[in-house]
Formats: sequence, C-alpha cells, structure tokens
Amino acid sequence: MIKAVEAAEHNAGMKSQTVADHDGNGHSAAAARVVRVRVLRQDAPGEESYWERFEIPYVANMNVISILQQVAAQAKSRDGRRVAPVAWDCNCLEEVCGSCTMLINGRTRMACSALVDKLLEESADEIELRPMSKFPVVRDLVVDRGRLFRSLERVKAWVPVDDSYDHGPGPRIAPELQEDAYPLSTCISCGCCLEACPQFTKIEAVRREDESAEDFESRRKSAFDSGFVGAHAISQAMLFNGHPTGKMIADERLEALTAQGGIQMCGNAQNCVAVCPKSIPLTRSIARAGRAATVWAIRKIFDR
Amino acid sequence: MTANDPSPSFLARHQFLIYRLFSLAGLVPVGAFLVVHLLTNASVLAGPGTFQSRVDMIHSLGPLLVPIEWAFIFLPMLFHAVVGFVIIANGMPNVGSYAYVGNVRYTLQRATGMIAFVFIIWHITQLHWLGTPFGGGRFDPHHATSSAAITLRPLLVSLLYAVGVLSTVFHFSNGLWTLGITWGIWTSPAAMRRANWISIAIGVLLGGAGLGALGGMRSVDVEQARAIENRMDDVKRMLEGGQSPLDGHQPQSRSPEVRTTKPHTAPVVPTSGPASPTPPGA
Repeated sequence: MIKAVEAAEHNAGMKSQTVADHDGNGHSAAAARVVRVRVLRQDAPGEESYWERFEIPYVANMNVISILQQVAAQAKSRDGRRVAPVAWDCNCLEEVCGSCTMLINGRTRMACSALVDKLLEESADEIELRPMSKFPVVRDLVVDRGRLFRSLERVKAWVPVDDSYDHGPGPRIAPELQEDAYPLSTCISCGCCLEACPQFTKIEAVRREDESAEDFESRRKSAFDSGFVGAHAISQAMLFNGHPTGKMIADERLEALTAQGGIQMCGNAQNCVAVCPKSIPLTRSIARAGRAATVWAIRKIFDR
Repeated sequence: MTANDPSPSFLARHQFLIYRLFSLAGLVPVGAFLVVHLLTNASVLAGPGTFQSRVDMIHSLGPLLVPIEWAFIFLPMLFHAVVGFVIIANGMPNVGSYAYVGNVRYTLQRATGMIAFVFIIWHITQLHWLGTPFGGGRFDPHHATSSAAITLRPLLVSLLYAVGVLSTVFHFSNGLWTLGITWGIWTSPAAMRRANWISIAIGVLLGGAGLGALGGMRSVDVEQARAIENRMDDVKRMLEGGQSPLDGHQPQSRSPEVRTTKPHTAPVVPTSGPASPTPPGA
C-alpha cells in the first residue's frame, strides 16, 4: 500500500484524495488515493439506462476488471447507497477470450488490458464505463454479441471437414501463406472493430409476447443478416479462403460477402484496424475481399 | 409457423451491384466529367479566347449535347447522389470518439458529398440553361467567359464557389482512394499509402485548377472578353453561312460595339435567348 502511495505521488497527473486508511497495524492514517468510476447501468433489456458512480481504493497496476471486482465487493455507490453489483463479462483476463469488451472512457477496448494508471492519464477525474453501443444490453456492461457470431456463420468462417471419414493429411501450406494467415487467425471475436465502425449499426430484436423461441430466433437471425457482416467476418472469410482446404467453399463465402450487408457496406473509415487489440490487418483483408468480390462478380456474370 | 421472412426487396437483393455501380459512377462518368470540366474552366487563365474555343468545341456536338449531358452527366450524378444519401443515412459517424485520420476522412467524404450536391444543384440552376425557368441559366455558350465572369463577380458567389469546388474536389480525390480499396486495386497498407499520395496529388492539382478557373474568371476584363467573344461568334456565323471571314464581309453587321458598350446593363440576356445548347445557327 505504501509503495502504491509513493508511486502515486510521483504521478503528478492524477487526482488524489485523502481518506482515512487503516492498515493492518491499525494506526496509520496515511494518504490513500481513490479511483472514481461512473458506470452506465441498465437493469434489463429494453429498460432505461442510468449512471451510477463508485469510489474505490486505488491499488497500483489495477485494470478495469479489478475495479469492477472491487465495485462488486463493496456493492455500494459513491453516495453510500447499497446497490446491486455491476454485471460484466470476462473470462481469460489476458486479452485472449475477447469477452470483456466495453467502452472505457468512450473508446472500445478490453477491460482486462485497460490499465487504470493509463486511463487516469486520459481522464484524471473519473473513469467512465459503458456497455458496447452496437449490441443489445443484457444487463449493465453485459451485451449480447450474438450478431458477431452470426456474421461468422454467414461467411462460413470455418474449414469444412466436419465428418468422421479419414481424408488423409491435408494439403501442405507454404510458409509464406502461414505467415500471411497467422495474424488473421489471432482474432478473438472481441467486437472492437464492430463497435468502432461507423457503418456497423445496432440491430436489436425484441421477442414478442406471442412469439415462440424458434420464431424469435429466426426473426433475429434474418434481422442480423440484413445488416453489415463487419470487419471481423470479412477478415475470417479471407483467412479461410486462403486456406488450402478452406478455399473449397470459397465461392460460398464470396456469395455471402456480396449478399445484402456484405463487403459493399464498408465505408473505408478504417477504424477497425485502428482499434483492433490484436493489430490484425483488417483493412488489408477488406481490400482483398473487395478484389475477390470484383473478380467473383465478373465471373458470375460471364461464366454462367 | 416458421417465420417466413418476406423476401428481401429488389434493392436489398442487388445491394452489392448497386453499391459497386455507385462507386464506379463516381469515377466514370461523373469524376471524369469533373476533371474535364475543371480543366476546361482553368483554360480561362490562357485568356477568354482560349476558354471560348474550348466551349465551342463542346458545343460543336450540337443536338447530341443534350442526350450526352443526360446520359453521361446528369443521370449518373443523380444516381450517385441518391445512393450516396442512402449510404449517409445508414451510417453513424463517430469521429468524436475515434478521431483517426481515416475516420475524419470518412466523415468529410459524407459532408463534402452533401455540400457538393447542394452546390451542383445551385451551380446548374445558376449557369446551365436548365436553370432558365428558375431565373438562372446565365451561361451563354457564345459569350462563355463574360457571362460566367459576370455571374461569379459578387464576392459571396465566388466564396461559395470556392467552397463548393474544393468540397467536390476533396470528395472526388478521397473517393478515388477509397474506390481503389473497394474494388481491391490497392490492398496492402503500403500500397494504400502510395495510392493516398497519388490521390492527394490529383486533389491538389484539381483544386488548383478549380480555384485557378475561379480566379481567372474574376480577373477577366468583361468588356474585352465580350469583344473577343463577339468577334469569334461572327467568325463562326460566317463560316456556317458558307462565307470565309476573309471574303471581305467584315463583322460590322453584328455590330459588336453595340453590345460591348453596355455589358453591365444587360449583361447576360443576349437577344438570342440564354445559353441555348443548340449549336450556333442551328
């Protein structure tokens, strides 16, 4: 704790506040810093959202996940009311699972790799947490990213060898191709590219009272299918269209990429590549998909 | 019941084709026309006679001019504009949260597209003969420089033209860069950077041509330009009448002095009617 305070005092850009701090020996009232957080909360889908403010003790090297853990532990807002803990998604805590994406100080990023010290440099007063704006909110910071995965289904982002026969070894992959493909394979489906994309806009399907689960699911899917597939899916389509086995259904992927909501929806803002936590060359994939779509469309017109 | 979705609309089914045609139309014919138009206008810098002869060349198309204008300029431009507005309506600019250069350009591309749309409508109304019923149509192809110069003379008009021309040029040159990505001409980040420099160079060149044309029109001596235009007009009329200007029939019959003496009182309404697209003497 003392180390933390010292470290904090060295950091002139931060706002600090003195509160009584009782350490293990029970006698210290050293200056301890707090971190202020405001969270845009929502109790359930379709309900009004509201801001709630929290104040939690500063600990060196915190990330946003540890803020949220502390918020859950104290379950108390800054004005002292007992409140339900803030709900959020997370799993791996090392920027691999892609589940803790949220808007931190207004920008899409992973909560696990968003370090508090850096965030306080951006906004010393308060850290702002909001759920992603392009997906329906389930509760607080938890969103339903079903459309992200539906997009992967639309472009068949897989290698089609799903049976129990022994097909023998697959074709060999040249090292150049491996190097080309590897960055694309590091996608963690976090959705940052979609959140930052001005062309990817929110689609929220709400289940009607008289609607069966199956009917709702199919209506939801067709709503998703009318919207932009997104940079992640375009890049995955290019990954598997470059794969020697995956390219066996290359035409099906191009068919999907040139259907409604396909590659043509890209507006070339190039935010996707700028916010991608994995630095995936998404705009290269988009341009390659554009070229493939050009060739494919010409082939479709003249080869049939 | 299994939710049988209503089959998607014609526009939804052909979205890819429509958007690609939209992209193509921006380059050919609309963009190509823009380049020709700005370079033609910039020829005024070489003098009113040069500009007049360029205009005469275009108007030598005669009765073909109107169908060519509609097929290769107005309709493609209208198509590009309509689809453009659909694209703008479906997007959600977020440059406030993500102030990257690419995103700023994305936003500017839409803003300049809308500015260009308004500007072009105003520009056509003001100068093209289509605008005659609306009190415009001031461009007289027989007096190209002087009629344009008089229209552009108010400072506010010139400033609005500068904004309109620069917006249009930005929209075109930035659109050229994004078109290359859309069609997959440049795919790697390095190739995109190189293409970007080329787009910037084209933009600067066209912006210079546009502003040069504007400056050239403003600095023109209207009376002198009118005299030159009248002389050229007389020569054309005589040639069409089967006479050579050297046949001894001097152009006094057209009495250019009469018109040059009062370009300010009746500057833009020649008796033959404003800016008829029909060729001289047709």
